[in-house]
Amino acid sequence: MWKTIVRRIFVMIPQIFFLSLLVFLLAKAMPGDALTGSIDPNIDPAAIEAQRERLGLNNPWFIQYWDWIKNAVTGDLGQSFRFKMPVTQLIGERMMNTVWLSVATLILTYVIAVPLGIISGRYNDTWSDRLITGYTYLGFAAPLFIFALLMLWVFGFQLGWFPTEGSVAPGSAAGTFAYAMSKIYHLLLPSLSMALITTVSTVQYLRSEIIDTKQKDFVLTARAKGASESRIYNRHILRNSLLPIAAFFGYEITGLIGGTVFIENIFSYPGMGQLFISSISIRDFSVVTSLVLLFGIASIVGALLSDMILSAVDPRIRIK
Amino acid sequence: MKKSYTGAFRLFTLLLVMMMVLSACGGGTETAEPAAGAAESGQAAAGGGTAAEDDKSEDGLVSIEDFDTAAANEGTAIEGGSLNYGLVSDTPFEGTLNPLFSSGVPDANVSQFFSESMLTVDENYVYTNDGAATYEVSDDGRVFTFTIRDEVNWSDGKPVTAEDWIFAFEVIGHPEYDGPRYGSDIENIEGMAEYHEGKADTISGLVALSDKKLRMTFLKATPSLLSGGLWTSVVPKHVYGDIPITEMAAAPETREHPIGFGPFVVDRIVPGESVTYKRNDNYWRGKPALDGVTLRVVSPSTVVQQLETGGVDLVDAFPADQYPDNADMSNVQYLGDTDAAYTYIGFKLGTWDKKAKEVVTNPDAKMADVNLRKAMWYAVDNDQVGQRFYHGLRWNATTLIAPSHPDFHDTENPGVAYDPEEAKRLLDEAGYKMDGEFRTNPDGTPLEINFVSMTGSDVAEPLAQYYVQSWKAIGLNVKLEMLEFNTFYDRVGQNGDDDPSVDVFQGAWSLGYDVDPTALYGRDALFNFSRWSNEENDRLLKEGVSEASMDVAHRQQVYKDWQQLMVDEVPVFPTLYRASLVPVNKRVMNYDIATGSGVYLYQLALNSDKPVVAE
Repeated sequence: MWKTIVRRIFVMIPQIFFLSLLVFLLAKAMPGDALTGSIDPNIDPAAIEAQRERLGLNNPWFIQYWDWIKNAVTGDLGQSFRFKMPVTQLIGERMMNTVWLSVATLILTYVIAVPLGIISGRYNDTWSDRLITGYTYLGFAAPLFIFALLMLWVFGFQLGWFPTEGSVAPGSAAGTFAYAMSKIYHLLLPSLSMALITTVSTVQYLRSEIIDTKQKDFVLTARAKGASESRIYNRHILRNSLLPIAAFFGYEITGLIGGTVFIENIFSYPGMGQLFISSISIRDFSVVTSLVLLFGIASIVGALLSDMILSAVDPRIRIK
Repeated sequence: MKKSYTGAFRLFTLLLVMMMVLSACGGGTETAEPAAGAAESGQAAAGGGTAAEDDKSEDGLVSIEDFDTAAANEGTAIEGGSLNYGLVSDTPFEGTLNPLFSSGVPDANVSQFFSESMLTVDENYVYTNDGAATYEVSDDGRVFTFTIRDEVNWSDGKPVTAEDWIFAFEVIGHPEYDGPRYGSDIENIEGMAEYHEGKADTISGLVALSDKKLRMTFLKATPSLLSGGLWTSVVPKHVYGDIPITEMAAAPETREHPIGFGPFVVDRIVPGESVTYKRNDNYWRGKPALDGVTLRVVSPSTVVQQLETGGVDLVDAFPADQYPDNADMSNVQYLGDTDAAYTYIGFKLGTWDKKAKEVVTNPDAKMADVNLRKAMWYAVDNDQVGQRFYHGLRWNATTLIAPSHPDFHDTENPGVAYDPEEAKRLLDEAGYKMDGEFRTNPDGTPLEINFVSMTGSDVAEPLAQYYVQSWKAIGLNVKLEMLEFNTFYDRVGQNGDDDPSVDVFQGAWSLGYDVDPTALYGRDALFNFSRWSNEENDRLLKEGVSEASMDVAHRQQVYKDWQQLMVDEVPVFPTLYRASLVPVNKRVMNYDIATGSGVYLYQLALNSDKPVVAE
């Protein structure tokens, strides 16, 4: 298996290279550049032109690409035009926020999904199952950004239970206990909003897996041996049903990237998703290309992770 | 089956992301709009603002006269207290808290609490002697002597000196400096060009006469020097002196603990989201009334809720399109002021010569006939546009100098008022004869005019369609194309590559302190997008910044003539002036949004320690 993983990682390199080229060309194809926003009678056009020249925006695309990629390989993703700081530093600052948000969402997703999926699968076609599937259909139908706005309005503004923006209370000193608690407090509402929507697919998988498994022969055998109902569900059915969920974990990470883009914007939560959107609208190319590349790498790695988990948990599957 | 489902889900997510990206672009231009500062303004979006969907009665309309610029000051002020300031933005603030490098409106708003300019301005944006420094001008207008007040100290206790001021120039003029500030106004300082090219180690026009006295010599005397033409933002040399220029913008001295000599001191910054300030007890004007200020970034989509619940007391700007639905919010007072900006319609009359760096006006351009242009102005009813689309928060513009510059805006010049009959008469006389539904060129060839306008707000397209219909009503065949902000300026010619298919365009400008319009209408101005030029125009623009115009009355006359010239020649015509609104919680006292109001941030106070909440 290790051989396979190493081979997959080698295949990733041309994939990422191709992705970087595509991303770069698409970014350059957008009309305007970072300096379009400074069309301003108070700024001398000559100064703008001098900046363009210095940033190399007047060079042909392949020279610009070469300049970019050769630095990127050494870990230097360039300078953000808007923030006037190195992109790596900027993304580093934001990445932790997004990572915390994603981790909290993942935890909540499974905390919600596992019990609901078990109840709904074990007692299928009862009222509690209908309620749960009803919720999942609603979850499928509700767009995340509308749902999140609703949550913000109800729990943030009307009831005032949660903070409505930011990742930490103003004036908190990093490293203190109060700072950590404030961070968690600010995470709850956005991650819960996202988890309540993204969890529905996991609930559905789990439900159908359990219904599927409980009709298998080995379950009948276990019953015939006189095993208790809870033992059958906890030991025999659940373990088998969780396999695809575990395998789905890697893809879940990829999906979260898309989700955090909305959530971060709605909750004014300064993470990578929000940085991505704002960098596109002001044409901060070095940030946009770096982020897309990072997202791309995350997807590729996520897919690899899923395959690895799958082969680890399911003895029937062997990657060759 | 599972596989295809996840694929579909991811595609769906991707689509939503795309949608979000598109709307974010629109949102971006929209929030960038209420810029009214000097250094930070940029072009405002053409059509952002209020959508009056249902036809409200006359009394549903508002006018700029209905608003005060100052808070009502009900009740009595309490001792101290902390104010919550909302920075309305859908993105985090950049955090480049150094005036030599910052370029965004958000950063300027963050900086205003701890950093100040050396000079203050009056309501005409002319420097006064009320600020941290006073100035005297020599008779020939070229030599300025500044005296920094003795009590002006950096918040770390060190005095603000002439050396600090010179240091600011040395950074901006340095060959390694990569910010946007080095331009022709900076180069007007004697010896600056030599220093910039690396031929001199110091700038000969800047001399520190003593610790607190600075002499500045300029190459050319111009009235612009007195309004926005001087560089008055200073950074502490004892803090920045040892930092290489290329690292200044990213240094912790800029991002984490910047200092200034303003009424408050930065206590703590959470990058991009919030800043807390403490009172600066040694502030030179006196002890500030508030204990502190907390600034938070607030999304434009939730700003109303924040105001209603008292989460923020004060915001930097308010999205105008949310005003009609929230006009009767009970716990706030809306302050309003005329924005230094206007929307305009321009006619493409030539091209840009990249070599000579000047406009080349084409006498055979499609829009070259002044009667055609003027008829198009006569055909549009901008009073109606302001009322129907903007609830009265924008109104008919008459000349190209906005009323935000009261000394120079010619109130007696009516511009060209709505009169479709006059428009038709002009076109008939000029030979644009009706042929079926539309008019033709005087030589009988069909006349089709291409009109481009910017997307950005809900009303952008209906508004542009209104203009198309108005022109159709006088027999002109106008084809509309709506363009996204970046594409719009690419095609209109921000790089000098004008798209020849564009005949008419709708844009907007926000203006700086100085009234001089050369950067927008001069022969050598890249932003003169209509590419119109004329000798009388050259003469007036030059006269406006000449030594003779140091006399305000003379300058007023020059710009009065210029406004009339532009009404006669119509290379562009102004369509709308606009108001900026700022809602303020009723507990806030001593706050005034007018330029040169004489009310300063150290006076800001509260009449209660709890914000007023909407009923």
